[in-house]
Amino acid sequence: MIAEQSYIKAKTIEQAIKEAYLTQGSFRFLAGGTDVIVNKFQGNETSQLLIDLTGIDALKHVVVIESQIEIGSLVKLDDLKKHKSIADNFPALVDAAHAVASPVIRKTATIGGNILCDNRCIYYNQTEWWRKAAGYCFKCNGDICIATGGKNNCLAKFVSDTATVLISMNACIEVVDNDKTSVIPIETIYTGDGIHPNNLDRTSLITAIIIPINKGDKTIFKKLRQRESIDFGSLMTAVTLRNNGSLKIVLGAVDAKPIIIEAKANDKLDEVIAEAVKKPKTINNDIFSRKYRKEMIGVYLKRSFQELGLM
Amino acid sequence: MKQISFKVNGRQYDLLVNSHEMLSTVLRERIGLTGTKIGCEQGSCGACTVLVNNEAVLSCITPALRCENADIITIEALAKDGELHRLQKKFVEKGAIQCGFCTPGMVMTAISLTPTLDLNNGKESLIHQIKEGISGNLCRCTGYKKVIDAVAEYVLETNTDPDSIIINPSDETKSVGVSRPYIEAEKKVRGAADYANDIVMKNTLHCKFLRSIYPHAKIESIDTTEALKLEGVHYIATGKELPITFGILTVSQDETAMAVDKVRYVGEIVAAVAADTEDIASEACKLIKVNYIPIKEYLSIDDSINDIGDNERIHNQGKFNNNVHKKAELRFGDQQQGLQEADITTKMSFEFLGINHGFTEPHAATAYWDENGLTITTATQVPHYLHRALAKVMEVPLNRVRVIKPYLGGGFGGKSDPFPHEMIVSHIARKTGRPVSVRLTREEVFLTNHGRHPSKMTVEMGITKEGVFKVLDADIAIDGGAYGSFGVVTSYYNGVLLQAPYKLNNFGFRTYRVYTNKPQCGAMRGHGAVNSRFAVESMIDDLANTINIDPCELRLMNFLDSNTQTVGQYRITSNGSREALLKVMEESDWKNRIGKLKEGHGLGVACGFFISGSALPIIWNELPQSVVHLKLDFDGRVLITSGSSDIGQGSDTMLAIIVAEVLGIGMDKIFVLAADTLLTPVDFGSYSSRVTFMAGNAAKDAALKLKQEIVDSIVKLKGINAEELNFTNNRIFTNDKQLDLSWIEAVDILMVKRGAVSVSGKYISPKLGGDFKGAGAGLSPSYTFGACIVEVKVDTETGQVKVIDVWGAHDCGKALNPMAVEGQLEGSWHMGVGQAISEQMKYYKGLLLNNNFLDYKIPTALDTPDIHAHIIETIDPEGPFGAKEAGEGAIHPVIPAIANAVYNAVGVRITKLPISAEDVLTQIKENKGI
Ligand SMILES: Cc1cc2nc3c(=O)[nH]c(=O)nc-3n(C[C@H](O)[C@H](O)[C@H](O)COP(=O)(O)OP(=O)(O)OC[C@H]3O[C@@H](n4cnc5c(N)ncnc54)[C@H](O)[C@@H]3O)c2cc1C
Ligand code: FES
Ligand code: FES
Repeated sequence: MIAEQSYIKAKTIEQAIKEAYLTQGSFRFLAGGTDVIVNKFQGNETSQLLIDLTGIDALKHVVVIESQIEIGSLVKLDDLKKHKSIADNFPALVDAAHAVASPVIRKTATIGGNILCDNRCIYYNQTEWWRKAAGYCFKCNGDICIATGGKNNCLAKFVSDTATVLISMNACIEVVDNDKTSVIPIETIYTGDGIHPNNLDRTSLITAIIIPINKGDKTIFKKLRQRESIDFGSLMTAVTLRNNGSLKIVLGAVDAKPIIIEAKANDKLDEVIAEAVKKPKTINNDIFSRKYRKEMIGVYLKRSFQELGLM
Repeated sequence: MKQISFKVNGRQYDLLVNSHEMLSTVLRERIGLTGTKIGCEQGSCGACTVLVNNEAVLSCITPALRCENADIITIEALAKDGELHRLQKKFVEKGAIQCGFCTPGMVMTAISLTPTLDLNNGKESLIHQIKEGISGNLCRCTGYKKVIDAVAEYVLETNTDPDSIIINPSDETKSVGVSRPYIEAEKKVRGAADYANDIVMKNTLHCKFLRSIYPHAKIESIDTTEALKLEGVHYIATGKELPITFGILTVSQDETAMAVDKVRYVGEIVAAVAADTEDIASEACKLIKVNYIPIKEYLSIDDSINDIGDNERIHNQGKFNNNVHKKAELRFGDQQQGLQEADITTKMSFEFLGINHGFTEPHAATAYWDENGLTITTATQVPHYLHRALAKVMEVPLNRVRVIKPYLGGGFGGKSDPFPHEMIVSHIARKTGRPVSVRLTREEVFLTNHGRHPSKMTVEMGITKEGVFKVLDADIAIDGGAYGSFGVVTSYYNGVLLQAPYKLNNFGFRTYRVYTNKPQCGAMRGHGAVNSRFAVESMIDDLANTINIDPCELRLMNFLDSNTQTVGQYRITSNGSREALLKVMEESDWKNRIGKLKEGHGLGVACGFFISGSALPIIWNELPQSVVHLKLDFDGRVLITSGSSDIGQGSDTMLAIIVAEVLGIGMDKIFVLAADTLLTPVDFGSYSSRVTFMAGNAAKDAALKLKQEIVDSIVKLKGINAEELNFTNNRIFTNDKQLDLSWIEAVDILMVKRGAVSVSGKYISPKLGGDFKGAGAGLSPSYTFGACIVEVKVDTETGQVKVIDVWGAHDCGKALNPMAVEGQLEGSWHMGVGQAISEQMKYYKGLLLNNNFLDYKIPTALDTPDIHAHIIETIDPEGPFGAKEAGEGAIHPVIPAIANAVYNAVGVRITKLPISAEDVLTQIKENKGI
């Protein structure tokens, strides 16, 4: 419970990164904290230092630059819809943001934090006591995956609603570290390893999300969950139909990373769906069974294609 | 530690705060603003919502240090100059407050929501926006309906000319039958009502528990040496210090405060640390070393009914070598005969997973000892039985124990047992000579459980082709978990409560309860009969289909009458079954709509029946069921003292209404003091839906006696005929107004040379029932009846079920406070939707998987259907002013009605709860032959 030793509220990007480099022990950046703090309460987040980013005004912008929109990583999920440029161009992003957690959480949770929200598993997102009783799994330094009984890897599920949509829209993130700034497609950061789900350096900050505006593109987002609020997804699907007839399908919550399927609008869509159902390594680590979640991929994609006028 | 400055409610604070401290704890524990509640500490319930720089945030996951220079507003600051905020007023007026634990968070969320609402798209859109906006705030009591109404009215009025609002002047002089807020609603909406964990005593030690990580294991040794060395640790208790067993039932005294020689479930308390702070106590728990020797565990009904060979039983009880806790069987009429007379028989099997009460307030308690012995302030539904259990376990006379129930954040049966944590803090308080307090985390609340039993049952029913019920036979097994709790009663209720509301001449059941190595199950709203009612109502639906009769008609044909007896010798007096069903048929337009709905839509119906207070006490004794004292003093105020326990259902208000009605005075002249076992006379507590009937009758009895005292004194002084006196409108007068006294003038007359007058009223149940063994189960002086019709929408490609509308009607005899009754009904149906659609206790090797409000899925406002509550009044001959229960019975019909609606929609018969989208889909496909 009493995990971190200290807490710093950074005022600038540079200060945040500097503190990260200076600290001897473990640390974690804190945006809204709606993921980190709950994990801390459960004893899964034990960093000695929390570097709070919420005081950094340079991360709160939304600007349209030529044919792309740049969204500061600290923009709150609830605020996305208030920006006309976002609401007009990326309604599916607004849908996805709106599907995260609950209304009050969305007033704190940030888009950057959502992209890096930790992977989840019913056997892992539990208190310290619980995990001890169950026997620690891979993701908390144990040597087994409780969900599969396997000894190889952790498949805790990737859960970010907004990332699912952003990837389908070919969004990039701007990443800043001590000496460099780079812009990379979001999908490249996910490793597929449930324990270390992204490959960003610990000291790297996401400063912005950059989404290309391609007039005429259309994206449909869907989320499977038991309740209409609060719940994490048991499956998310995002399908973007480009002007040029290409399709980018992204699946969330059915694998340790987002699953991407590229296709063309005039492909045999049944086959595309079949491929999508087959591709993720889905395991029984959720309230809905593996089988059902897989089956729903098909239903959700079919419906998305119908809404896009493709079926 | 770091220095932080911020403003809370306009006042500047400079505090030293730990890096890991959350805003919620700083507000509550450092600043003392306990209006902000903690329900989950994981961002999943919304109880802790406050405003930071004018934005709603969850204070339980907001680091305090983040709030440097912030402007923080908590519930305590909404009222200005003594006047409630208009939104708070709406919450009070509309009855949006029951237990009130979710209220501060709900109000703060709503305050930040309302300016963003778009009012230009009509009422329906507004309601949806409100549902959406509060969908992260869980309320277990209200079903959200009155909360939504309050917010909607607030915004609509905000946007109209304030002068055009007509506020109904509440009629001062009428009491019974008038809708009114709870007497303490204002205190709750201000955040000023103190719940168990809000009460802080000087010099208190904080307690944390070390809990077992094995389902079934011998404790070989416990080493507390290292833990005791930790600075700030004052006492560590282990099981051997408190070996005396307790339990709510005399026949099931099978639990100890902490595990003594072995643990029986994952989560059982093994040791308890009292320290200067909770953090230190938690750290110390980690330093305690326990050596366990795991032994074979039993995790399911099937495991536990079998002979266990050389293994160890969970409890050494019973003569068989298995883990069966209780077996019971009762048979009435002749079932063989019934089967022969039936033209059609059907037999179906059902399975139900465990359900937790999900009250929003976690258990908490503070205990101390002084010259008066032990005092414990605790979140309990049954101060009286806890009083007895504490005296037993602490080995002190009954007169050395005082139990106080403060405001209580919901119970639903989950706070109606004496609990280990209550024993432990009492014990450590004695050992250390200091107050000791404890609050459970949400996970610990789930481990404490006592919720609805997982059950399996096979039921057989027979019916003639004309639709007459001929036979009902049920075979029921329930999974009790590690200890007895109410289980023996639960076992019986599963069976006996099937003997109504329909005429049945041949009826029988066999039921058994097993121990398993899981958190124990006990009583939960609708106790014992919810699952078996589901089975029977589903089968009736099926039979109606088979013989091609409208399921409503079939039920109407078979209802018991009023003033009759059931086959098991229950005395039925008032009975509103018929009215209830006819009402919901009419309201839902059943006749015109059934069979004619859009694809995927379905209508379902079911009925229910419940006791209105158990006629027998839990621990056999000759005390009246309830005693109420009234004291009238020179100031004209009547003080009601009652041991009954208001758990958010409004029983304190009910007592005041009854006394006011009898004496013809306004509620402002009444003061209720309840649930303090030193000051208030015994009432058995809030369980079995007994309080309105029993404490209400005792209050009425007392009020009549007080009235008589007043009459006598006036008759004596004025020489007037007693029969001529009227008590209304705060006056006592004769019809010809020859005599016309104000209340205070009458009080003056009564007080002459006498002073304050105290009277005592009581309620004793009549002798009821048969002479056979088991005849006492389910006996009640009165029974309640109800019906629900539900509309669902089933997505035929995903199998997901959405409940759209619930039309319900419940015969509560007489609604003493219609708004409160509606609140109970709406809350019951909301809870039923949860059990039907989303709630379940899921285990992994005896370890509860979903022990938090994120994974245990209480329906949010968005998941809760439109609820249309209808009150049926049958004026019970023995209820106070004709009233009977409304708190539990209503939940029975809604769950099977949902399942029957699913059948109507897609032809899938539900035999397992919660309804799983996956199962529905599989069956839809099977039906289609895919
Ligand atoms: C009850 C509940 C329900 C939830 N439901 C959902 C849900 O349905 N869907 C969902 O996706 N999430 C859900 N969440 C998780 C969480 O609220 C969201 O993912 C949220 O968007 C996280 O954002 P944050 O700003 O709070 O992130 P934080 O908790 O602050 O951070 C999350 C991670 O991102 C890192 N990080 C944040 N910002 C940066 C940055 N700029 N640069 C580098 N690293 C950064 C942090 O170090 C941390 O590792 C839920 C949480 C709760 C408590
Ligand atoms: S206590 Fe903060 S959300 Fe439940
Ligand atoms: S009133 Fe909402 S939880 Fe009790």
